[in-house]
Amino acid sequence: MEKEQPRWAEVFKIAMPLCLSYIPIGLACGILLNAAGFNPLLTALVSMLVFSGGAQFMIASMLTTSAPMHTILVMLFFLELRYALLGSSLSQYVRGTSKKFLYFFAVSLNDENYAVNYLKFATDKEWTPKDALMVEHYSLLFWTLANLIGSLIGNVIKIDLAIVDYALTALFLYMIVMQIKNKLTILTSLISAILAIVSMAVLKSTMGLVVATLIASLIGFAIEDTLVKKGHTKGFWLKRIKPKASRKVISR
Amino acid sequence: MTTTNHFILIILSMLVAFGPRFIPLRIFSTREIPQWFNEWMKYVPVSLFTALVVKDVFMNTKNYTFVGFDYMAKILASVIVVAIAYRSRSMGLSVVFGLVAVALLAMTFPL
Repeated sequence: MEKEQPRWAEVFKIAMPLCLSYIPIGLACGILLNAAGFNPLLTALVSMLVFSGGAQFMIASMLTTSAPMHTILVMLFFLELRYALLGSSLSQYVRGTSKKFLYFFAVSLNDENYAVNYLKFATDKEWTPKDALMVEHYSLLFWTLANLIGSLIGNVIKIDLAIVDYALTALFLYMIVMQIKNKLTILTSLISAILAIVSMAVLKSTMGLVVATLIASLIGFAIEDTLVKKGHTKGFWLKRIKPKASRKVISR
Repeated sequence: MTTTNHFILIILSMLVAFGPRFIPLRIFSTREIPQWFNEWMKYVPVSLFTALVVKDVFMNTKNYTFVGFDYMAKILASVIVVAIAYRSRSMGLSVVFGLVAVALLAMTFPL
């Protein structure tokens, strides 16, 4: 028998890999926000209230190119729209909770704690909405602290921002890799890449991202639907790809 | 922009970020999600993240033109990140090695 641990410590252990990985990204984000003219207090505030790596990097880079506020907000809306999908896929697990709980849960939901919580809900029967909220709050704490420290570092030393900016791309690449389940996901990704180039070049704006996402995801969905109906669930496209390493890094 | 404007931007950003997170969670926690919707949603994150990566690596974001293989440092760093992510499945390692790789590669290749 293992020693009985308090629940907060057990949940913290599960959230730990996520919290640690927020440190480099949070530092990078804090540095960029500082360069965009946010003082450390505002950087901490935006980390707590918006709590989204993608959104904060985007605010920083759009402020440095002095984009008007409404343009920033429209872009943010499209970027944050993906949380609608994450939220609806988690909703089945937070049934029967109060409106107040959902409010708090939604405020600090983001890509990474979603990944941890979704996996825990799907595999661990003991996992409660309260645990999930705790994971969100741990990650929020680490994210905010890392941003704050990044903001302070940015004041002191000079760093090449184009390089720091790449942290976000690396983060998205990681999330793509974690999404790869079969060859059809890879195909969908390639379709999205081509559509993104074409639609951004045509629309001359980041609206192209939304167009590419919608069309590529619908194509992926349509192909899977067709394959399943034909009974090709174990075929070339849908056969599961097993990761080389164990999944324990994020799943435990 | 002034600090006051930044503060207003943060508050508005919070609202913009909150809507998409809260509304579907609220609706679908009392109603059944249609099966097709879930099946479709599976392909949304991978599509969006790919589009965002492509924007950074293959597009000039000032005038939205395709730059091909101009940003060689980012392209090579991305290959490294994918390999590390695939092997380690760790977000922290992927980002740290990605930053180191792009910093080193930027010395010899255009960023």
